[in-house]
Amino acid sequence: MSRVRGVARPAALRLLPWALVLALAMAMLALGADYALGKATLVATYAIAGLGVVIVVGQAGQIGLGQAALVALGAYAQALLVGAGVPPLAALPLGALAGALGGALASLPARRLGGLYFGMSTLAFALIVEEALVRAEPWTQGAAGMAVGAFAVLGWRAASTLEQAAVSLAVLALALVACHRLLRSRHGRAWRAVRDDEVAAAACGVAPAAVKMQAFIVGGALSGLAGALYAHWIGFISPEQFGLVFSFELLMLAFIGGARRLAGAAWGALVIVVIPQLIAVLRDQLPGDWARAAGLELVLFGAVIVAVVLLRPAGLAGGSARSDAAHGDGA
Amino acid sequence: MRFPSVLRFFRGALLALSAAALPAAAEVVGDEIVVGTVSDLSGPIALLGVPVRDGMLMRFDELNAAGGVHGRKIRLVVEDAGYDPKRAVLAARKLVQRDRAFAFIANMGTPVVMATMPIIVDAGRLHLFPFSPHRATYEPLHPLKFQNFAPYQDYMEAATRHMLSTQGYERTCLLYQDDDYGLEVMKGVEKGLAANGRELVERTSYKRGATDLSSQIARLRAARCDFVVLATVVRETVAAMAEARKIGWEVDMLVTASGYSAQTHELGGEAVEGLYGVSVLPHPYAEGANSQLAAWIERYRARFKAEPNVWSVMGYTLADLFVRTAEATGPALTVEAFARTLEGMEFTRDYFGSPSYRFTPQDHLGNRYGRLAQIRNGRWELITDYLQ
Amino acid sequence: MLSLLQVLLSGIATGCIYGLVALSFVLIYKATETVSFMQGDLLMLGAFAALGLHLQAGLPLAAAALLAVIAVGALGAGLERAVLHRALGQPHLVAVLLTFGLGMMMRGGVASVPAAAQEVHALPFAADTLAIGPLVLAASHLWVILATVLLAALLAAFFRHTRTGLALRACSEDARVAALMGVPVARMHTLAWALGAALAAVAGLLLAPVTFVHLNMGFIALKAFPAAVLGGLTSLPGALVAGVLLGVAEALAGLALPEGVKDVVPYALLMAALLLFPQGLGVRRGGRGGV
Repeated sequence: MSRVRGVARPAALRLLPWALVLALAMAMLALGADYALGKATLVATYAIAGLGVVIVVGQAGQIGLGQAALVALGAYAQALLVGAGVPPLAALPLGALAGALGGALASLPARRLGGLYFGMSTLAFALIVEEALVRAEPWTQGAAGMAVGAFAVLGWRAASTLEQAAVSLAVLALALVACHRLLRSRHGRAWRAVRDDEVAAAACGVAPAAVKMQAFIVGGALSGLAGALYAHWIGFISPEQFGLVFSFELLMLAFIGGARRLAGAAWGALVIVVIPQLIAVLRDQLPGDWARAAGLELVLFGAVIVAVVLLRPAGLAGGSARSDAAHGDGA
Repeated sequence: MRFPSVLRFFRGALLALSAAALPAAAEVVGDEIVVGTVSDLSGPIALLGVPVRDGMLMRFDELNAAGGVHGRKIRLVVEDAGYDPKRAVLAARKLVQRDRAFAFIANMGTPVVMATMPIIVDAGRLHLFPFSPHRATYEPLHPLKFQNFAPYQDYMEAATRHMLSTQGYERTCLLYQDDDYGLEVMKGVEKGLAANGRELVERTSYKRGATDLSSQIARLRAARCDFVVLATVVRETVAAMAEARKIGWEVDMLVTASGYSAQTHELGGEAVEGLYGVSVLPHPYAEGANSQLAAWIERYRARFKAEPNVWSVMGYTLADLFVRTAEATGPALTVEAFARTLEGMEFTRDYFGSPSYRFTPQDHLGNRYGRLAQIRNGRWELITDYLQ
Repeated sequence: MLSLLQVLLSGIATGCIYGLVALSFVLIYKATETVSFMQGDLLMLGAFAALGLHLQAGLPLAAAALLAVIAVGALGAGLERAVLHRALGQPHLVAVLLTFGLGMMMRGGVASVPAAAQEVHALPFAADTLAIGPLVLAASHLWVILATVLLAALLAAFFRHTRTGLALRACSEDARVAALMGVPVARMHTLAWALGAALAAVAGLLLAPVTFVHLNMGFIALKAFPAAVLGGLTSLPGALVAGVLLGVAEALAGLALPEGVKDVVPYALLMAALLLFPQGLGVRRGGRGGV
């Protein structure tokens, strides 16, 4: 199978991921360990949230424009539970559960809506969640935001960046393994069947609405899990952090990495987190007033998105459409 | 079939981790002092971020041209986090590790400040004068945290009390932005009212970026308010006043320091005439400026091709506080020595008309007071001194 | 009662702007089946273009406004030729991300101009008010409403009575059949983007006296999406009507409902409408169903 992919991907493209790893390693040497580990923590956390998008968008083929709301639910659940004295490790599954419940709720309109209409309903869902978090002031402290303590297990506190990176990467690894098994199971096949042809899937006895809800539950759980970690790493959460921009970052992440493959989430997270930093470093080298131009980073980041979507529509981890077809259901 | 690429990712990550074995270096003071700022140049408060940065740049450039502090030049490194704590965390780590920032000045936005402050103080760097109303920026006392922005709660309480006692308002209402800023103001106003045995008659909010405030104003009018406090920024201040005047409602309004800006009367014109505002620093009007201020305005215009505003003055002042403290600390500059020197500093009022800033070992909040101003004949006139 | 009317009028004016942005979105979606998430940025760009042409280049306001609309329309056409046509026939998300990325570039580009990033600007429109009996109207609101009505009439005439308009409509109904009948489909796509971008710029100009010109004024598009969907995504009149409806609902909610409800009204309405009328509220004449 990998032979098929090798044929389908020119050498230059196959080297692209390696170039990125090299760039990261060089950034570390140049910028220092603490910084690099902090980055690795965020990359892994983003990747977990991105896995949720990969499941919903890449596997089940649904347009989800509000994934950040599910991250928010996980983050707030974690913050509230830890605040109430629940050990962070025990709270993590509950954070994931909050995301899963949110996902189930967000997928309800899928019973009646398809395609873009459903996508818009997820957008509305996300904005309603954001507003609800603002209004639930007695618990969430509303728009003022709330502080979250460090991640701790039995007296051990993940205070250093190394420990935080280790925890995030471990959770990411577990999530990847779990997703890998799921995709090979009956559920994974049902997702792809619905994605590829809803009518045909229904004819084969797959109930599209139920399948979409499953995908949202799994995707929501992953995003909620990421949110729970995020709350600890950032240490301060407020509703506006989980707005539309975050949702779009996650979408871009999945797209850049390759929404059809699990590894796409990891690659996408790497790009989404690293590129703005690279741009910042490059900008420091610019002479005079150019370095002061405020919007430069936005322009370059936007250009990267456009370029990737145009030049590499299947994402960094994904093969061409042909090799994807060759992988078929077993992929 | 997916595993090869997954494995490749982890191999890559591992490779990268192994490259990162060096521990974080403590700050080095050679012939350069690096000052970091995690600003907002492209997000919701970019209108503050840009002039604050330019004001700081100007002060440091002047210092460097004059030979620096005890022979050391100051370099300002600006990172744009756009109000996003995720970007801010990485930006702060970059400034700590790569640029070896000695101090952070004017980090911007509560989410940004709250997310980066632990990183900065844990690395043993100074956290100075952030743009956030959060109390954690100066309370509880921390050896490295200093703040000099008067808290909304404190000065709005004083301003409310003053307005009530001088004008005898009976029905006070609030229009507030739906975020931490608005909530802080609300607490202050409520305290000020409670001191007079009153409560807010009506309160109504808007979301950042709201288009139209007519329903909010109608609601306040229906509550028959005779005094409206605005926890708004420039644009919404103008919109609120214009809407009220449009429907013929001549109610008195008072805006916080966030609405005290020359832009308020430039954009609002006739409609904002008579608006009260709280000022924590006067706007640098070229007309009628003292000679020092006039020269400063000229230099700013020449350097940045833009008019200075109150935020430019703020940036310049913050940088100036840093420079003067560094000078007072002496040639052996360490974070510890700087912080202890700042704890004994008192900055008297200058040609900008700033309040005096005073820090002590027990109190790291440099200023608590604002003064009242009113828009008269198309410009802000100060009408009281700093209200204690 | 009076204040109710007053708020109602403001709601209609705001709703007209929602409606115009929604209209621009639907125009593009209908003709090319691509979803544009950069209408808000085009709106902001239009307002800044007019501002720059008027204040920097010294053109009279009317000329600056006209030129800005044409320029943004040309930009829309150019982007379609260069980039966006690649999203044709692709999944919706391709267009969503492309336009989001392009929108970021526009925002960044404007933010790079120091004067734009630092200040809120006003276009020197008249800030007069007009009294009709006890009712007071802001001139800016009247302008918005009048301009919207005028634009709607112009567009209707264009689609009904001109060859190009008919061709564009044919192309929207069924591109393949239209191509068979000799309609230059590719050119029609470019035209749709040009029109959509220009409409967004007009909305920006109309919004300028209401909220002033600033970097984040494009966020209003977030209210326009619900309007577009409420209108059924493929109905131009539907989008406009839904926009006005949302504006009014929002204003009335702000006046009468408990604090904070106002901000979710558009999305709650959208959710309700989607669930109750999955085909949209718009009047559809033949053509396609959902998506």
